[in-house]
This record gives sequence, structure tokens and C-alpha cells, in this order.
Amino acid sequence: MARIGRAIVRVPRRISKGQVFKVQMVITHPMETGLRKDKKTGKLIPAHYLTRIEFLFNGKKVTTIHSGPGISKNPYFAIMMKAAESGTLTIKYEDNKGGKWEKSLKVSVA
Amino acid sequence: MFTRRDLFKVAGVGAAALLIAPGSVKESFGVKKISIDDALKEHLGVTLKDLKESNLITVKAPTIAESGANVPVQVKANIPVDRVEALYIFADNNFNPWVTKVELSSMNGEVFFATRIKLAKTSPVRAVVKMKDGSLLMAVKEVKVTVGGCG
Repeated sequence: MARIGRAIVRVPRRISKGQVFKVQMVITHPMETGLRKDKKTGKLIPAHYLTRIEFLFNGKKVTTIHSGPGISKNPYFAIMMKAAESGTLTIKYEDNKGGKWEKSLKVSVA
Repeated sequence: MFTRRDLFKVAGVGAAALLIAPGSVKESFGVKKISIDDALKEHLGVTLKDLKESNLITVKAPTIAESGANVPVQVKANIPVDRVEALYIFADNNFNPWVTKVELSSMNGEVFFATRIKLAKTSPVRAVVKMKDGSLLMAVKEVKVTVGGCG
């Protein structure tokens, strides 16, 4: 799985000032619990899951999600957000094996 | 004296013991299941008895989930976000009932969180909202799972 950590983030195209809008996100990640066995070898598959997802808007913390193996494979998250001005939404996320990623996108508020 | 009635009693106890036995097999698997009380104690410092159900919070999840690997859960609360510190999701019958903790801030606008979770088997899904004053509010939704999602 070469594409672990790839993320798709979606925000509404038009946002008016002070409007509460939804931010949706899907990350490509196996989210292994560490309890599952490999059917061929019979060995346990080591745990590999996202531990932390941080949403920052213009450098200010919006939401921090602490996740664990209880979240589904290729996790989906949705939060609500309010923005007073246009800016950059940065999402930082990391897993238990030391993987770290970052994704930014512009949010324009009219 | 050993009557026929006594014999039935003994047989009944034996059958009950057999029914209980399969439950303990799980622990021999190597990983011990964490109970919901232990998980709540670890993350919130309370037990299930201390949590009060509140109609301010709604948990949206399917009543019957075809696959436990992918159960959509949506939590909403009719509380100003400024008063909320964090939001938790627990699933009682998972190996580790704690699923997620979401720290919110005033920039969220409203208390809302949606994700997809794994359920090992039929289980109540609990959403707990931790207020800034330390009080806890809970909402529960029972989800029936036909196929488990933890391998």
C-alpha cells in the first residue's frame, strides 16, 4: 500500500462569513488493530492505525481527533467549522508507526 | 434422597456451566477484552453508573449494520460549542471500547462529529460529551451487527 496517508478533503465551494460549514475528509490508511491474523501465515498483523488528526485554520487549532484501531479502514471524518475570513485549512495527521502527513487547502469566505 | 427432581437440577447447572464456558475462550486468544467500565475509568475517570443520559445529544447510527467493519456514526449536541471540551465515542463490546476523542474549540461553530467505526459485534454505541465545567453527558444507540468487523 504505497498510498498510505493520501487524503481527500472537501469543503463547500461558497462560504459566507460566519456560516457554519462541514469539512469532510477521507484518509487512505489500513487501520490495522493488531488483533487480526494473516490468513496465509497465521501470524498476527501488527497494529497500524492513525493516532491523531489535527485541524488548523490559519495556524489556530480547530479540532484534534484522537483516534485508535476502533476507527474503520480508510477513515472518514467530518467536522463543522466557522470562519470569519478566508485562509488556509491545514490538516496534520500521524499514525502509531511514526508516519506523519500534512495537507493544506484554501478556504475562501465571501 | 436423590429424586428425579434433583437430577434435573444437577443437569441444569451443568448445562449452564457449558453455556458460560465459550465466553472465556476469548481470553485465551492472548488479548484481554477491556470492559466498558475500565475504558470509561481510563479516559473519563468515571464508571457507567455515573453517566447520565441526556436528550441534548443525538447519536445517529444504523439500527442494523450489515458489516461491523464500517458503521457510520454521527454525533450532534444541542449545546453551545464554547461550553464543550471534548467528545468521546465508546463501543461496549469492542476489544477496546474507546473509539475516539475529539477536542473541540469555539471555531467549530457547533458540536458535530461524524466518522465510521468498527464494531466487533452487536453493541451499544455511546457518545459522551465532556463539558468545560467537568460534567458529562451521554447518549446511547444500540447497533445490531450481523458480521463482525475485527477480523
